[in-house]
Amino acid sequence: MELGPIWRALIRNKSSYILIALQIAATMALMVNAVSIIQERTRMMSRSSGTDEANIFQIYSMSFDPAQDYQAMVAADLDAIRGFPGVANAVVTNSLPLRQGGWSQDLKTEPGTDNEGSGVAIYFVDEHGVDTFGLNLVAGRNFEVTDVSWFDPDAGPRWPGLVIITEAMATELFPDARPADTVGKTAYIDNDIPVTIIGVLEKMQAPWKDWAGVERSMLVPMKRGDGFARYVIRAEPGYRDELIPQIEQMLAERDTGRVVDGAATMTEIRANAYLEDSAMIKLLVFIVSLLTAITSLGIVGLASFSVARRTKQIGTRRALGAPKAAILRYFMLENFLISSVGVVSGAVIAVGLNMWMVQRFNLTPISWYIIPVAMIALWLVGQCAVYGPARRASLVSPAIATRSV
Amino acid sequence: MLTMQNVSMVYRTESVETHALRDFSLEVDEGEFVSVTGPSGSGKTTFLNIAGLLEEFTSGTYKLDGKDTNSLGDTERSRLRNEKIGFIFQSFNLIPELDIFDNVDVPLRYRGFNAAERKRRIDHVIDMVGLGSRKKHLPSQLSGGQQQRVAIARALAGEPRFLLADEPTGNLDSEMAESVMQLLEDINSKGTTIIMVTHEPNLAARAKRNIFVRDGRISTGEPELQVAVGG
Ligand SMILES: Nc1ncnc2c1ncn2[C@@H]1O[C@H](COP(=O)(O)OP(=O)(O)O)[C@@H](O)[C@H]1O
Ligand SMILES: [Mg+2]
Repeated sequence: MELGPIWRALIRNKSSYILIALQIAATMALMVNAVSIIQERTRMMSRSSGTDEANIFQIYSMSFDPAQDYQAMVAADLDAIRGFPGVANAVVTNSLPLRQGGWSQDLKTEPGTDNEGSGVAIYFVDEHGVDTFGLNLVAGRNFEVTDVSWFDPDAGPRWPGLVIITEAMATELFPDARPADTVGKTAYIDNDIPVTIIGVLEKMQAPWKDWAGVERSMLVPMKRGDGFARYVIRAEPGYRDELIPQIEQMLAERDTGRVVDGAATMTEIRANAYLEDSAMIKLLVFIVSLLTAITSLGIVGLASFSVARRTKQIGTRRALGAPKAAILRYFMLENFLISSVGVVSGAVIAVGLNMWMVQRFNLTPISWYIIPVAMIALWLVGQCAVYGPARRASLVSPAIATRSV
Repeated sequence: MLTMQNVSMVYRTESVETHALRDFSLEVDEGEFVSVTGPSGSGKTTFLNIAGLLEEFTSGTYKLDGKDTNSLGDTERSRLRNEKIGFIFQSFNLIPELDIFDNVDVPLRYRGFNAAERKRRIDHVIDMVGLGSRKKHLPSQLSGGQQQRVAIARALAGEPRFLLADEPTGNLDSEMAESVMQLLEDINSKGTTIIMVTHEPNLAARAKRNIFVRDGRISTGEPELQVAVGG
C-alpha cells in the first residue's frame, strides 16, 4: 500500500487537513456521548412496569356529597365495572406504576425507631389487584376477600397484618434469602406494626420512574371508600379504547351528582412519564445527525478542493502508470488517514468528556464498544463522502500532464 | 518498435474542430534518438501524447512493439505506460508535497515492486543524475535543472525502453539545458529509445534523426525550415 507517501504528503500540508480532522474528532466525541446517553435513556424507558400495560386504563370518580355512603358506592361501581362486557377485571386503588405520584413508607425487618428502614411504594388493592394489574405472583398466595378491609380516610390505614411484596423488595429486606423464601417472614411498618409477607410478585414498579427503589413495591389489602375513587381497569385484549368512553358514561349515569374524569391508558401514562427522556433522545439524534451531515459536507468540500488543486499531479500520476483505481484509492486512503486522526483523537476526547460528565452529572460511563462502533461509523461516513470527489479524480485524463494547467 | 499509420486526431469543442494530427505516419526503431520540431500548435505534443498512450486518437493505427494499441483498455494502457514508457515534461511535473526519493518512487509503486527493489532502483537513478545527497529535499528546494534531473531519474527508474520528452529544456537556461541534453544522450547511448520535442534547433540537430511537424503532418526534406523555427 502507498500509505507511507500519502501520510508524508498529508503531514507537509497539515494546515489544510487539521480542521477537518478536528471536526471529525468533535463529531466523534459528541456522537459517543450522545449514544451513551441515548442508550441509558432507552434502557430506562424499556424497563417493564410488571403490569399488563397494553390493556390497562384508569378512570376516577369524584363526589362531593358528605352524606353519601362512599363504601357502598365504590362496591357498587366495582360490581358494575367488573360485570361490563369487555372488562377483564377492575380494582379501586391509590396509584399505578409510572404515574409519578403515590404512597411510600419505610419497611423494617426489626421493630423500633433506631434502625434504618427501606422505602417501598404502596398500592392499596383488594383480592382483584393482582389480576387487574396482570401481575405475576411467583410465591405465596393472593389476598382473599376476608383479608381485605376498608380504609378509613379520616383515621388513616389500620394496617391489616398481610402484605404482598415484589422480589426486589424481598431482596432489599432479606438480602440473604431467596425472594420466594421470604413468604411467612415479618416486616414492620410505622416502626413497629408487624406485617406478614404472604406473597411475592416477580415485578411491579413503583409510581416514580426516577426513584432508585423503583422496583420496590407492596400490595396492601385495603379499599379506600371516600369521595375520590381511582378505578384501574384491565380490558380484554382489543377492547381498551372502546371501553373508556363506555365506562365513563356508565359511571356518570349511575350517579349524576359526581364528576367522572381522568381517563388515561397506561400507554399514555408511560409516554407522559418519559416525555422528557424521549424529547432528549430526539434532540440528541438530531444534533448528532446534523453534526455528521456537516462533517461529511466538510469532507466533500475539502476533497473536491484538493482534487481540483492537484489536477496536474493526478494527470502526472496517470501518465506514470497509475490506473484509475489507484487514483481512486489514493483519495480514499488519504481520507481514511485524516479520519483516523480524527476518530482516534475523538475517542480520547469522548472518554475524557464522559469521565467528566460521569462525575459532574452522575451519568453512566460509556460502554466500551460504542467507541469502535462510532469509529467505524465515522470512517464509513468519510469514505462515502470522499467517494464522489475521489471518483472525479480518477477520471482526470493522463493528457493533463503535458497540457499546461 | 513504434509504428503509426495515418493517425489523425481531431479535438472537438462546441464550436470548433481542431485537426491536431492529419494522416500522421511514422516508424521509430529500437535505440533511435528522434527529435521533433515544428511551430507552436503544429501537433507535436499531441503526437507525443498519442505515442505515450496518454490520449486516444480519432483514426489510424498505432502499434507499440507490434501490439495494436487501439484495442487496449485503460488498465492495460496504464500498465504499458508504467512499464515501457518514461515521460519527461517541460515543467518537470514533480509532486510538490513529496520529497525527491518519494517522487522517484511513484511509478515504482504502481509497478508493484517490493520495498527493497524500489530502494535499490531509486538510489541507483538518483545517483546517476548526480543528486544522491538531495533525496530528502522537496522539489521546491532544488533548481530547475536539478528538478528536471529528478524527473529524468523518475522516468528511468522503471527501466523503460522508450523515453518521451516534451520540451525537456524549455524551462531551463542554456547551461542546465546542456547538462540535461548530455544526460539524455548518455541514456540513449545505453540503448533507450528517445523521442524529444524541442524548440531549440541546436539541440534538435544533435539527435540522430529529425522530424519536422507542420499542421499536424510530417514535412520532409526541409532542413532549412528547422533553423527558422521558434517559440
Ligand atoms: N485538449 C485540447 N482541446 C482542443 N484543442 C486542443 C487540445 N489540445 C491541443 N489542441 C489543439 O491542437 C493543436 C495542436 O496542439 P499541440 O499538439 O499542443 O501543439 P504543439 O505541441 O505542437 O504546440 C493546437 O491547435 C491546439 O490548440
Ligand atoms: Mg507542445
